[in-house]
Amino acid sequence: MRSLQREPGVLLALLAVIALVAVFIVYPQLRVIATPGAGYVDFITGGTWVRSTWQSIQVMVLSTTTAVLLGFVFAYGMVYTNMPWKRFFRVIGILPLLSPPFVVAAAYVILFGPRGLISYGIFGQTLNIFGLGGIWGVQTIAFFPFAYQLIADVLTRSDARLEQAARNLGAGPWQVFRSVTLPLSRPGLGAAILTTAIYVLEDFGNPALIGGTYTVLPTQAYGLISGFGDLPGATAVSTLLLGLALVLYVAKIRLDGGRSFVTVSGRASSMPRPPVPVALTWTCFIACLMLSVVIITVYGSLLVSALTLNFPTVLTPTMQHFEYITTGTNGTALQNTLVFGLAAATFSAGFALLAGWLVERGAWRGRRVLDFLLIMPAAIPGLFFGIGYATAFNEPWLDWLDRGVLIIISMIFWNIPVGYQAAVAGLRQIDRTMDEAATSLGASSLRGFRDVIVPMLGGSLRVGFVTTFVRAVTTLSVVIFLFTPSSTVATIRIFQLVNDLNFGRATAFTVADIGLAIMALSIMAVLARGRIALGAARA
Amino acid sequence: MPDIHLRLDGVTKTFGGVNAVDDISFEIPRGAFATLLGPSGCGKTTTLRMIAGFYDPDKGDIVLSGKRINELPAHRRGTAMVFQDYALFPHMTVRDNVGYGLRVASVAKEERERRVNETLEFVGLGKLGDRWPNQLSGGQQQRVAVGRALVLRPEILLLDEPLSNLDAKLRVQLRYELRALQQQLKMTFVYVTHDQDEALSLSDWIAVMNAGKVEQHGTPWEIYYHPRTAFLADFVGAVNLVPGTVREIREGRAVVSFGERSISVPIPAGTTLSAGAAVKLCVRPEALGLAPRGAAADGAALPGTVVRKAFLGDLMRYWITVDGREWIVDQPDPGAANDFDGQVTVAVKPERIHVIADTSS
Repeated sequence: MRSLQREPGVLLALLAVIALVAVFIVYPQLRVIATPGAGYVDFITGGTWVRSTWQSIQVMVLSTTTAVLLGFVFAYGMVYTNMPWKRFFRVIGILPLLSPPFVVAAAYVILFGPRGLISYGIFGQTLNIFGLGGIWGVQTIAFFPFAYQLIADVLTRSDARLEQAARNLGAGPWQVFRSVTLPLSRPGLGAAILTTAIYVLEDFGNPALIGGTYTVLPTQAYGLISGFGDLPGATAVSTLLLGLALVLYVAKIRLDGGRSFVTVSGRASSMPRPPVPVALTWTCFIACLMLSVVIITVYGSLLVSALTLNFPTVLTPTMQHFEYITTGTNGTALQNTLVFGLAAATFSAGFALLAGWLVERGAWRGRRVLDFLLIMPAAIPGLFFGIGYATAFNEPWLDWLDRGVLIIISMIFWNIPVGYQAAVAGLRQIDRTMDEAATSLGASSLRGFRDVIVPMLGGSLRVGFVTTFVRAVTTLSVVIFLFTPSSTVATIRIFQLVNDLNFGRATAFTVADIGLAIMALSIMAVLARGRIALGAARA
Repeated sequence: MPDIHLRLDGVTKTFGGVNAVDDISFEIPRGAFATLLGPSGCGKTTTLRMIAGFYDPDKGDIVLSGKRINELPAHRRGTAMVFQDYALFPHMTVRDNVGYGLRVASVAKEERERRVNETLEFVGLGKLGDRWPNQLSGGQQQRVAVGRALVLRPEILLLDEPLSNLDAKLRVQLRYELRALQQQLKMTFVYVTHDQDEALSLSDWIAVMNAGKVEQHGTPWEIYYHPRTAFLADFVGAVNLVPGTVREIREGRAVVSFGERSISVPIPAGTTLSAGAAVKLCVRPEALGLAPRGAAADGAALPGTVVRKAFLGDLMRYWITVDGREWIVDQPDPGAANDFDGQVTVAVKPERIHVIADTSS
């Protein structure tokens, strides 16, 4: 505390960070929770929440189980075997992370819908694809890459030397895995499963597009506002959703200390792991190959649909969908996506770096509280966050505030945990004597931060920037309550176009949106002089 | 009255209920090479970091050139520091590292370049200015770290085990370079180390620390030959510590019995002994002589048996049991001396025995 008083610059920076966190993270949430007021009684006695809660949990358990199983096979194959085509699988593994998760639902409709390529085109069937089965399948495909990234991260960190030692002491591959790898990575794997479960629980786009009458909490909250204008009801549902997510999140933090998150960064090389049986290697290879076929089918159908007149019935090549999305309000939406994403990523990464430094290097009381608040948005469902901003900042006296700016701010703070955790992890790699060296040479703490720490944290900054950008341009749930016609973005337009069954235009938007994310990643890779190669990146 | 440059007065620092530094006080004269010596965890680095301003003392005052600096932020103290791991900025060249402090102080570019070049010459890095830190050897990195601090002409230079990451030979070489540097600049150095050879060979003044306290401070000579506690005697160099009891005080000397034997030894200045007091007789191994059993011994003769010995090049170290207790005896220049085995006589000169009041029992 005394050192803070001696350095007014640091104190000022800290107060600014605390103020921003209070206004843009804490306050909107409190507003949502407080909004129903007495309405909670009606809400609870009304009982409509029982079915959607049960269905949310049901679909969460099903989708998480399958996504984690597939993700584990993929991760095990990538980390433990020396199967061929690893670079290819790695690209396949990050592609879904660069796209809005709900485009899998769009592809699903294209492939299996009433006039679907596979269902109708090949089998001549008109299926009812909406409901639990559809959501389950779509979420499995949409979220297994997230599970893969999280699990691969955990497995990569398990110490190869210990496995070598176990093999040296006579344990077979299976024994090593069961008696060394698994016990050591159990907390990490548990955290990875819970993180995947949170992603699934919060998913709004997929159930909204193909859920049909099968409502889950996010779609119920959306329906209450868009259909009935029932804000108290929607906020009550959102609060319930937040409660569930927080339960999972607290359990996750107990397992890994709140330090797992899907980010884009270079993969650390490690020492070779003991070889696994050939049969296992090939089993993993075939599994990965089959998953890759599914992923390629999903994204391939999106690409073909974007380039043809009316896929799959009219296959005339055309650029008219791309012309449509680049003109008029759609062009604005695309431009907004890029501008909002860049602004949010820049400020989020910068702010997170400063906040990470203040928390990690500080010695003041209450830094654990700030630490918690900066990580908490990771547990907040996007829909809840969006409703929070819509509720808290939808005041007459704030009319001067541009909606685009509000969307940017929401993206900045919803994504703070990404950059913050990258910054803290980076700072832990930099010895405190670096700060002290600058100080002992006459630089104030802030000056040392600027001259020494920021340049050394380039990697963390890039991770925060790219991941935030990708998350910002692929989120639907955060912006769905915030956008106006002039501040709409690609994901909103995709969602609207799919709802209108206008797949050509929707997929063209999707391709453009994914293109933006890939572009951001590539530019960063070039800036980092290849230290993040696209093929080696994790998102 | 010497010119006191740095004074610590009752300084205490607590970490989690443990007194890392416990009420220490000392004064360092201007221009001295002062060393804080002690085992790891003794509080020496914590003390140095409080002087630098990285930790706030919980109690006590730190006074630099007559001015209390407790409340002065670290970057305004003029206490440049050389770190154990050097903490060179990896994204700056050698030249930029050395010039960093001048840049922060807004020294004009020409003046800055002149001083950086001068300093690089001075620390022997004249041609390496454009290298990056990771292109330098450990010894070169160490010189950059020293140069980076010296270029600021700091009021006082703090060094935190600056040689401990180097290999043994280079460590000894740089030790003498540092000492020469300090004498040339007449700058006050505060140096932290756990290496007693380093402390003895470099310092004008040593404070030996243990468990957060300064056990003793003084010249290297005083510390080595007149340690005030058994810990000190044992920590600084090899030593024989033989428990005994004062039988009587006669003519300014103490007659001390140990086992079946007794010997009359001088009483060190500042020590008061009375009959019946428990003491430890402290004898350095190199102060003992060896002779074949039965030969005339210089001083008191103790019959003993060689248990084992180690050839260390410049000396031969013997472990010898005398009355069931093991003694260490060093014989210099083994190539020119007898090689002893079996029954021998250990020769003890009473004047070379230092008596320590035994507070442990």
